[in-house]
Amino acid sequence: MFTYLGNLLKIGRGDFTLDPHIVVYYVTMQCNLNCAYCEDFGSRRNHLVTPAPPLEDAKRILKVIRTGVDRLWLTGGEPLMHPQLLELLQYARQDLKFQEISLITNGTLLGNVVARSDSGEAISTHEGIASPLTRNDMLLYLNNLIISLDSVDPQALNMVSVPDAYAETVIANVQEVASLQKEHNFKLILNAVITPETLPSMDRLLAFCTENDIRISFSPQAVNNLPRYDLVTSKEYRAFIEKVVEIKKQGAPILGSYNYFKALLDQIPYECYPTLVPRILPDGWLAYPCRPMEKADDEQGGRAVNLLSVDTWEEAWRIAKHKYGEAPTSCVSCFQQCYAEPSLMQAHPFEHLKEMIRGDHLTTYAPG
Amino acid sequence: MNINSNNRDSVETCQVLIIGGGVAGLSAGLHLAERGLKPLILEADEMFIGGRLAGSETIQVGGHSFRLEHGMHGIWSGYRNLQAMLARHNLRPVFVPAQEENWIYKRGPLVRMAPVGSRIRRSFIPPPFHYLRLFLSMRFLLMLDPRDWASLFNVWAGLIMAVGIDPFAENQPMEGLTLGDMTKRWSPAIKSLFLGLARNGLSSHPDEVSISGFIAFLRFYTLMRRDAWMFTYLPNDGGTSVCEPLAEKIKQLGGGVRLGSRVKRVDRRDEKWLVEWETAEGKESALVDHVVLATDPNNAKKILSASIGEEVDKLFFPRALSNAIIRLWFDAKPRKTSEAGIFTGDFIIHNYFWLDRLYDPYRRWARETGGSAIEAHVYGPPEVLAQPDATLLTRAIDDVQQAFPELRGHRVGQHLQRNAEVHTLPEVGAKDAWLGTVTPWKNLFCAGDWVRHPAPAFFLERACLTGIEAANAVLEGRGLERLALIEYLSPEPFVAWIEKLMKRGRAKRRARKLGK
Repeated sequence: MFTYLGNLLKIGRGDFTLDPHIVVYYVTMQCNLNCAYCEDFGSRRNHLVTPAPPLEDAKRILKVIRTGVDRLWLTGGEPLMHPQLLELLQYARQDLKFQEISLITNGTLLGNVVARSDSGEAISTHEGIASPLTRNDMLLYLNNLIISLDSVDPQALNMVSVPDAYAETVIANVQEVASLQKEHNFKLILNAVITPETLPSMDRLLAFCTENDIRISFSPQAVNNLPRYDLVTSKEYRAFIEKVVEIKKQGAPILGSYNYFKALLDQIPYECYPTLVPRILPDGWLAYPCRPMEKADDEQGGRAVNLLSVDTWEEAWRIAKHKYGEAPTSCVSCFQQCYAEPSLMQAHPFEHLKEMIRGDHLTTYAPG
Repeated sequence: MNINSNNRDSVETCQVLIIGGGVAGLSAGLHLAERGLKPLILEADEMFIGGRLAGSETIQVGGHSFRLEHGMHGIWSGYRNLQAMLARHNLRPVFVPAQEENWIYKRGPLVRMAPVGSRIRRSFIPPPFHYLRLFLSMRFLLMLDPRDWASLFNVWAGLIMAVGIDPFAENQPMEGLTLGDMTKRWSPAIKSLFLGLARNGLSSHPDEVSISGFIAFLRFYTLMRRDAWMFTYLPNDGGTSVCEPLAEKIKQLGGGVRLGSRVKRVDRRDEKWLVEWETAEGKESALVDHVVLATDPNNAKKILSASIGEEVDKLFFPRALSNAIIRLWFDAKPRKTSEAGIFTGDFIIHNYFWLDRLYDPYRRWARETGGSAIEAHVYGPPEVLAQPDATLLTRAIDDVQQAFPELRGHRVGQHLQRNAEVHTLPEVGAKDAWLGTVTPWKNLFCAGDWVRHPAPAFFLERACLTGIEAANAVLEGRGLERLALIEYLSPEPFVAWIEKLMKRGRAKRRARKLGK
């Protein structure tokens, strides 16, 4: 909250280099799925990406992050493929005392129902994580568990992300985890990527969330950093977003500010403040000033500094600025949900207040 | 990158011939090629594809190479179809966000400077009054004198008039009225700011700019939405960033590109069109079902006149203008300033861009050397552009050094580039005389930023939009499905309400006149 208010004051003063709300740490780039819309990871790229760092390095990276930020998202790849995720979470919560920790997973490795392929093999060798006992321990350290689930229709899931054989497993895992929310004091959030393939079954997904007391957020599939053309030019997409807004007003458990949905509906440009949600790659590199610019690897940004080589967050940021110059104070270069919502919420305090009254904080809004 | 399909095969197999390889022609070519047709693009330039967005030759400054181009372009938030097209084919680079635009104003010996861009796009006051946010900035107030305050009513009356008329959608030529007439009673500083905007947007002297073009320009870029003035820059010259990858994609999809092909005539032969062009090797021709004419207005008129005759003289073609681009290299950096801005008042240059903050090769060079490089545009008047190179360059250097005196004595390189008369001066013509994408001649379509279309789009976006529309016309002619366009954003609610009232008032006045 103090960061939010501090940033509001900064905006009022005309200073748009905002302090981070959350840091996203990519625990690993390894993944066990090949989502059609994923432009970053996927098991087809596992041999190309650096493996997860040793636990001690990961802990050191979190320690540096903690010197500047008190809210943490852990993501991947598939973070549950990190062999020591539980220890890392424990360290973040108990030793570093992060105020809020969120984990983003595809849900395949979460439950006691271990997904199996047609030949009967488990989809992952990390059954330790998948065991209910370990999972429940993990939930103790989390404020938000965010599961990427794009549909409850196995056929639609099969088309975009989860192979047929695992679809029902994921859905069962989600249902089971949902039932643990009160007991373990965490929020379960689904994040659904809207694609032309998943759009027809979105209504069923919404109903599933309502039945199981699950919050849900939506992001349109992005191609080359913009919402997919054949999605945004379709009447069905427009009708769905309008419907989402309508049922959100009626109290459905939908995350997202109205400004965000307006942006989704008409692709209204918004000022992105990339410094609000910095991203750290598994081996400690700070993606400066944001992930799209880091990936472009041109003169605007890149892997500016490794957190393993510095002591504080401030020092890391100083080195990055020295290398690439000041981060843009506002940007309309791309449309990415994970940057859009924090920027919109920061720029519209009344919207933020409304969402807070509903019981949802800004940090739960951009799980992409 | 060699993008030339230099063989006869591409001519033999082509189904649609596109004349002109600028953004309009490339957009048409891409949309046709992705639907399985085999378009062939004929570009007159011997070396580079892209027209006004093309890259150009490379020059050496202090042992470093820099690629030239027609001139810096902004990619505005309203360029929705251009951005969507690039993204759909994974060709959209990560753009460089615009941070601030300065207004530099000189009257007599005094040079003053104020940030304006971010004040307008971030204004908390809804349009059309969002410009009032500027009056909360001390640096802006220092640019004004008492006459500016006295003429504020006239300024707002002009702006409100612009809200009430949509020249493109209503096809309102507003003949005989110029920007000079509209701003006659405005005070020097405010007038200078808006004329500076017009200079940058429309590249012409106020007395030459039609009111319809200026109003359409204001409405698209700033008047109806605050976020309309949000934009980015390409990370490199237009050829490298956009046009060459686009041409390559068209070729991958089965289309062709022929450089150095100057089309002379398009003649009707039964149900087909015979297109004749000249190359360095001699004359060539092709008989095709469909032709898309996607050149600048001057060349379009020339080709049509040669082919169709007197009928073309009755048509309306917006003028195309020349300009000059000056690039200067320094071995030091200027004091803290915005990356771009406009020059108004007693300067000959009209805008500037610090290339070392925008383009990758310049950024790299600046990081290695500690230097800086600026690009300035001169849009006229003709008597200024007629000056010898040395004079024009000297005056431009003097202008830059007046605005950034700390760079005196640090210049290490300079380059003057004169662009031919290809820059469209946006104007609205009478509907029956102004060519749209669908022309009076069956299966001959037009595309370009000078072509009639009700959409509010300008320049690169209009070129892209009409290119897609020309492709759609070809697709429909062949019984294929059209490609959907991305719609433009509606005006913000308050200005939309004013627009509605104004239009209602105009309709009543018209009805009263008719009644009399």
